[in-house]
Amino acid sequence: MSITTPRQRRLGSFIRAVPAWAYIILSAAVVLPPVAWIVSTSLKTGSGTLEFPPRWIPAPFSSEGYVGLLTSTNIRFFVNSLIYAGGSIVLALAICIPAAYVATRYRSRRMETLMTGILVLSMVPAIVVFIALYSMFVKTALINTYPMMIIVYTAIICGQTILFLRNFIENIPVEIEEAAAIDGCSRIQILWRIILPLIRPGIAAVAIFIFVFVWNDFLVGTVLATTEDMKTVQNGIVRYITTGFGSFWGLFAAFIVVAFIPVLSIFLAFQRWFVAGMTSGGVKG
Amino acid sequence: MVWLYVLPVSAVFLFVFVGPLIYTAWTALHETSYYQIGKFSGLNSFVRLFSDSDLPSRIWTTLVFSLGALVIALPAGLLSAIVLNNLHRFKRSVRSLFLLPWLMSQATAGTIWLWFLNPNYGPASAITKSLGFGPTDVFSTPTSALVAVTLMTAWWSYPQAMLLFLGALQTIPEELRESLKMDGGGIRHQFVNITLPYLRNTIVSVVVVLLMLYVQMVTIILVTTRGGPIGSTETLSMRVYNQMFDKFDLSGASATAILLFAVNIVLTLVAIRFRRKESL
Repeated sequence: MSITTPRQRRLGSFIRAVPAWAYIILSAAVVLPPVAWIVSTSLKTGSGTLEFPPRWIPAPFSSEGYVGLLTSTNIRFFVNSLIYAGGSIVLALAICIPAAYVATRYRSRRMETLMTGILVLSMVPAIVVFIALYSMFVKTALINTYPMMIIVYTAIICGQTILFLRNFIENIPVEIEEAAAIDGCSRIQILWRIILPLIRPGIAAVAIFIFVFVWNDFLVGTVLATTEDMKTVQNGIVRYITTGFGSFWGLFAAFIVVAFIPVLSIFLAFQRWFVAGMTSGGVKG
Repeated sequence: MVWLYVLPVSAVFLFVFVGPLIYTAWTALHETSYYQIGKFSGLNSFVRLFSDSDLPSRIWTTLVFSLGALVIALPAGLLSAIVLNNLHRFKRSVRSLFLLPWLMSQATAGTIWLWFLNPNYGPASAITKSLGFGPTDVFSTPTSALVAVTLMTAWWSYPQAMLLFLGALQTIPEELRESLKMDGGGIRHQFVNITLPYLRNTIVSVVVVLLMLYVQMVTIILVTTRGGPIGSTETLSMRVYNQMFDKFDLSGASATAILLFAVNIVLTLVAIRFRRKESL
């Protein structure tokens, strides 16, 4: 066994870190350019976005793009997405917590079958059910309504929500519930007074996951909201490209930056929960 | 009553998944004009689907798109996870960097690349032009468009693989690595003899998760190429969308959707089989 001095060891760990940092720098070179380009575009004047060859540093800097975002249509997109996300969080938690609870504590073959069924169904490609939902909704008054949108979003994320909450409930010792039952607590009281406070971190992670899912989803808003006043933030982004005329790129870039801020701040503030919630199911993107 | 607790969830799933699936099967068995269901037509729309000369090329596109994105996202995700797991400094910053594409929505990921690759004003075009090539008009020719949407999808999705791998890597007992280090094993040795065998189940479940994601991917393709040019980026999912909202062919879209559903069932069965070992 050779004896190494601290200095040699430091040098050794430095050399060993070289491939890792080479990989990190390569990743940065692949990940960052389009992002930097969007931030740069968002700070340009209308004519500045149409310069070629393009400048990376805007000259002059301009807040034109951001100021131009303040239209009633754009504000409506943000409000809609907030309503859809908020509504889905409330509805999904209200229906998934009881289901996750009984599925964990009252196991039976039929319950397992039901849970497997829910999981399998939640993996069905969204587009498969959307064409039927669209043709059903479009014939009735159900299309372009907040409740329907919220129910569809909720259904899509329910499978993962239940799976994630079950893991949390499983970690609660049954003895606490048994003691409460002996003291005369009913099942609903146990759920409300004992389980609910104990799974608060799980609820927070799920709420974050649902918010980000709904906020980032493009397809539901595209298919099931046919009028402009019901569309979402993500539809707003793409709208600039599909219906844009003149120099809309500055507005488009500013819109992307503003739409990304909520997700980015939630990620930075709650990194650990964020990652936990997002990987619990992992299928839906 | 225990079943009362699962009643609301079951009702929502019946309404959003079971009902529409039955409805889709029903419309596939009928003639439709616009969104009106006409008379019963048996398996006609399936015959139409499988005799369509475009179908083999759509299946081929789906395969190239899904496997192409998988072949990039899987190693990138694994490598990112390993690098991150062995990193001691700047861990949070590097993790944020690796996760950045995935934090964005699919619509954002698609459109920012669209703008970056814009043939008239984009920086990519400036680079290729200064190197003596033409502008980066990638979305106007079939092959380059398919390559572009595949790469963009891999770019957006590799962090998801990374997170799943990262979770699994953290379950490898530290003693195992230590004992190998004592025996004088190098990094390669450690990777082949410890990390890979440990990750075997995870790799399978990541493959399934990613394939399901790619097979049902609509958004990134929809916001960039809409399946064009001349159908070169139209995967099965995209075809369902286009038949429904472009050609207003409800029964045709339903038949394609049923085919897509069958593909998905196979992937789901594999997923369920490996779910017990890893949290999928």
